[in-house]
Amino acid sequence: MPKKGTKKGKSADDEPKEQNKLPEHLEVQRTRVVCKADAPTEGFQYAGAFAAMGIDNSVSVDKFCKNFKVMVNRLTEDDMEFDMIGIDASIANAFRRILIAEVPTMAIEKVLMVDNTSVIADEVLSHRLGLIPLDADPRLFEYISENDVPNERNTIVYKLHVSCKRGSPRLTVKSGDLEWLPEGSQLPLASPAQSGDKQKTYTSFGQSQKDIFEKPLGVKFKDITIARLGPGQAIELEVHAVKGVGKVHAKWSPVATAWYRMLPEVVFREEIRDDAAEKLVKKCPVNVFDIEDLGNGEKRAVVARPRACTLCRECVMGPTGEQVELRRVRDHFIFTIESTGALPPEVLFTEAVRNLEEKCERVISELS
Amino acid sequence: MNAPDRYERFVVPEGTKKVSYAQDTKIMNAGSFTIEREDHTVGNILRMQLHRDPNVLFAGYKLPHPLQYKINVRVHTATQSAPTQAYTQAINDLDKELESLKEAFENEKTRYDEMPKQGY
Repeated sequence: MPKKGTKKGKSADDEPKEQNKLPEHLEVQRTRVVCKADAPTEGFQYAGAFAAMGIDNSVSVDKFCKNFKVMVNRLTEDDMEFDMIGIDASIANAFRRILIAEVPTMAIEKVLMVDNTSVIADEVLSHRLGLIPLDADPRLFEYISENDVPNERNTIVYKLHVSCKRGSPRLTVKSGDLEWLPEGSQLPLASPAQSGDKQKTYTSFGQSQKDIFEKPLGVKFKDITIARLGPGQAIELEVHAVKGVGKVHAKWSPVATAWYRMLPEVVFREEIRDDAAEKLVKKCPVNVFDIEDLGNGEKRAVVARPRACTLCRECVMGPTGEQVELRRVRDHFIFTIESTGALPPEVLFTEAVRNLEEKCERVISELS
Repeated sequence: MNAPDRYERFVVPEGTKKVSYAQDTKIMNAGSFTIEREDHTVGNILRMQLHRDPNVLFAGYKLPHPLQYKINVRVHTATQSAPTQAYTQAINDLDKELESLKEAFENEKTRYDEMPKQGY
């Protein structure tokens, strides 16, 4: 956690060789984004910005590797928060973009409707089915292209067959009612060419998926409502799930969302005491400030939880505006990943890094 | 409907090269790379990495049109370097950085996983 009012410039310790230090106000411009009441001010990123003062503002590979740090703050089954220190915004943004749009997952793509007498229209029902997160590791599957035959390596088949009996109360169809068909589709394709031939179906599985995958390929959450059936209504359908990326459709996005923010830093330009301190504490909607008792009835405001700051700038508007400074650390990113469940969030991140590496390789290998 | 197929965003059409380089006709040591089927993800980090090269005088990228799935990266270098050299260098550096980033992340993950065992 950063202490309040980091007086020492951060990068000053990083460079023991450098004798020259930037004056504090320039160091702030170099490493922080200052949020004024109306707008943030940009600093300098150009490598030679401080060359005249004998200070190297460039970043080499070695320097990057030495200064880069990660810290995991929270890691649960489907959500994760970690700090990345020492990277540029463009790298953080590349990871965010890749996580949302380019890390593959499995999702329902084809719905073969046999019977649907419910009130929900076929296309709406299909759309709802598509968005259900599946509990299948996409790394074990291959992409299917237009001319491919669906087989056990690129398709997962589920069946949904529910009906509501006449005279019974309304029935809610949940995602848990989807039944995995490891042997492939059960719907016959046209008529068999010769009697005695194996009945052709919409998929051609060479072997049962039960033999390939260790755990059954169910749905991640069994309690998602798909439809409601009144008495006498029924739904019978079969769905085919394939591998894809979020670029094509958001249903293939492996994250509910992934985002980053720069580390907020709240600094007092001068001490805030007594009534003004009380007012400041009250003003902050996320309780960044606390009151410190100095004895004999005197009070002082302190920055207790700068990380909670949402940069609402309430504290830099109004009477305390001149005394408080809101900043963000330019190269410190708080990255949050919320997985939809197919892969755990830390695996998603390593996948994203690998994806970016592959992109770089592709971009260079094909230049001739 | 006349919407383009979604896969056109990431499948390089046959007969086109992923990356092509065009030398600038007026300025020495300047040129632009056209990268097919890439977007801000690659464009922006490439721009950032080129800016870190002291020999690069200018580097910028643009996405010419949202329905043209390609980016243009323009590079202008000092005389002791060349755009292709700066480009290759930038991507190699980027690769190394990502490698170290991945390693740091894996290390941190194992450290985090072992924390409860050590009684924190």
